[in-house]
Amino acid sequence: MAVINLWAKQGYMSTPDGQSIYFWGYSKGAAEPAQLPGPPIIVKQGEAVTINLTNNLPEPVSVFLPGQTGVKVGSQFVKPQYSGGNLISFVNYASSNGGTVSYTFTPTRPGTYIYESGTNPHKQVLLGLYGGIVVRPEDYDENTSRTAYGSGTDTEFDREYLIIFSEIDPSLHQAVIEGKPYMISKHHPRYWTMNGRCAPDTMLPDNAPYLPSQPYGAMVMAEPTEKVLIRYIGAGIDSHPLHPHGNHTRIIAMDGRLLKNGARDRSFKRFTVLVGPGQTYDQIFQWTGLGYTLDNPIPTIIPNRRNLGIGEAGWTMWSGSPYLGEKGEIPEGVVSFNEVGEYHFMLHSHSEPKITNWGAFPGGMMTMISIYPTGFLSPDVGVLSQPVGKE
Amino acid sequence: MAVIKKRYGATDGWINMPDGTVHYIFGFCDITDVPENEVFSYRGKATLLAPLLEVYEGDEIYLTLTNLGFPQRPDLDDTHTIHWHGFPNQISLWDGVPEASISVPVGRNFEYYYEPLDPGTYMYHCHFEPVEHIQMGMVGPLIVRPLIEKDPDYTGRKFAYNDISTEYDREAIIFVTEMDARPHHLVANVQVFDWTDYCPQYWMINGRAYPDTVKPPNDPSFPSQPYSAYIEGFTDEKVLLRFVNLGFENHSIQITGIPFKVIGLDAKQLKGLNGEDLSQWRNAVYVAPGQTVDAIITLPDAGKYILYNRSLQRNTNNGIPSGGMMTEINVLEV
Ligand SMILES: [Cu+2]
Ligand SMILES: [Cu+2]
Repeated sequence: MAVINLWAKQGYMSTPDGQSIYFWGYSKGAAEPAQLPGPPIIVKQGEAVTINLTNNLPEPVSVFLPGQTGVKVGSQFVKPQYSGGNLISFVNYASSNGGTVSYTFTPTRPGTYIYESGTNPHKQVLLGLYGGIVVRPEDYDENTSRTAYGSGTDTEFDREYLIIFSEIDPSLHQAVIEGKPYMISKHHPRYWTMNGRCAPDTMLPDNAPYLPSQPYGAMVMAEPTEKVLIRYIGAGIDSHPLHPHGNHTRIIAMDGRLLKNGARDRSFKRFTVLVGPGQTYDQIFQWTGLGYTLDNPIPTIIPNRRNLGIGEAGWTMWSGSPYLGEKGEIPEGVVSFNEVGEYHFMLHSHSEPKITNWGAFPGGMMTMISIYPTGFLSPDVGVLSQPVGKE
Repeated sequence: MAVIKKRYGATDGWINMPDGTVHYIFGFCDITDVPENEVFSYRGKATLLAPLLEVYEGDEIYLTLTNLGFPQRPDLDDTHTIHWHGFPNQISLWDGVPEASISVPVGRNFEYYYEPLDPGTYMYHCHFEPVEHIQMGMVGPLIVRPLIEKDPDYTGRKFAYNDISTEYDREAIIFVTEMDARPHHLVANVQVFDWTDYCPQYWMINGRAYPDTVKPPNDPSFPSQPYSAYIEGFTDEKVLLRFVNLGFENHSIQITGIPFKVIGLDAKQLKGLNGEDLSQWRNAVYVAPGQTVDAIITLPDAGKYILYNRSLQRNTNNGIPSGGMMTEINVLEV
């Protein structure tokens, strides 16, 4: 039996352009801050799960589990909740200012899912009450059988990343602080997030101390030829065309359903995946590049560096060399964030206004897929684990 | 395998809309084999779309990008790049992402190298401040043709992929973009725009809005919009439509009375890993920014058919119908 304790709280998140935005989020401890997104819930197929929610917010809040069946509160299945004849919640909720509720269910299928508030969702989900669920297949073993959907499903992976997308209209958040009405039909986002962060913060490591409410990075790090499982979740209300540079991804599952009919393989490769609201995608990215060795066969002559634009903004992620694992010269005054000659391939929304922070590029829904030389990354990079909850 | 050498200039220019308005753009122009002392005369001659890049899989392409500067905005010394969108196996130097490699300053050249490994429909665009440079028009089509066409058994026949089920008689590019005239005007006048207020008034196919889409290629009345979107063929012919979306909105395209057989998405034939046929019949082709779709239509009885955007508000020019993302298919009797 897995027990997950969540608290619904208010907090502040920050954007790279210096804004501090009020939000509602799930936290993993009574004394921990609200976080965006909520802590990932990582459970095993066939093992019962209990989610205990304590609500510290001034209105009822719930945990709604799209894609999970047989969710119960006590001995009853969850059901819609009404107040004065109006539907106020898709499922049972924890009442305001200290109420609690416990949900139990047994995940029957492996895959990637979302959890989110089912109460006033048009407001609460947009305010930040969402997170990801990963259900491991029954035969999953971190050391011997790392697959997304079980052995024999052709879903092996070496590293995995969870990337959750959403949008932020600061005027909604401001209206909630001021207790003023907000028309969801007039929703007009100014920020776009991956794991609750806007670029370039998406590329900072997990648990960066200056982002206490946004603990998860969105940088994808791998070595050549490794199979990288990238799990997308659309947690907002818009759809986003996500485009990785460097290679296609192979989509192996959507909405927690393996793309396979018996022996018939229905997976497919795409260079842009349109992630709709509430959708999830499991994909395998593999970088098998030309230009992998130092005696690179590719004809390259880099012109004099004075004739090239490098790091216009004063920084670059380039090594200064065309070759993987090699470092070259970077002009004076330009800071290179390149570690060991790794390649950085952008992963971003191709609806380009969404890679800005309130109109200013670079920002928003953008990160990098970083390909490091073989043997550089420690095995604990790209390992998803359940954050430990604290009473 | 051929070695292909090309040279493109990055510069600015002006385009026309059917309502008589003129709009400032950034873009590319083809300066392949132009003598060095004449290259300067291509300043201000950007086209929308940028020149078609057309190669066979396995070809080696050397593409030199020359930044010719913006004669309309000499104060603006933006660098440019070419990002070969959707190409696998890039090394990051030629990826065209200035934050992770290099870009090309005004008056300079840089040679990109590529060896396309897979056939299909792709696109290329500048990746410097991409929200601005893509909207301003630095976008072009890229086709990689399959090697099967070079097989003596198939001489003279055309295929989208290395599979005889993808054979076609004619092809057309349906490259969709939108334009919010406000940033184009503001950029021309050295002012800034809040890109989160993006809200287009013009919708284009191949750089033109209807009815200009049906006028011939290289029509002298649109010197900077060389592509036509008019399609003509005979009953029972198969026409491969190569959809590319380099706008910022999702678009759903229909043709009055003609279904699509979607055979490829994002330059991958719709085939399972074990060769299963995953092609699909559709009445609408729904394509998101940065996606490509290969669809084959079989031309029906003689007559005119309209290809249009099912988001019907996009069949307008600054609010006036009929216009926008629309063109015509003329089917002739055999
Ligand atoms: Cu540019
Ligand atoms: Cu692109």
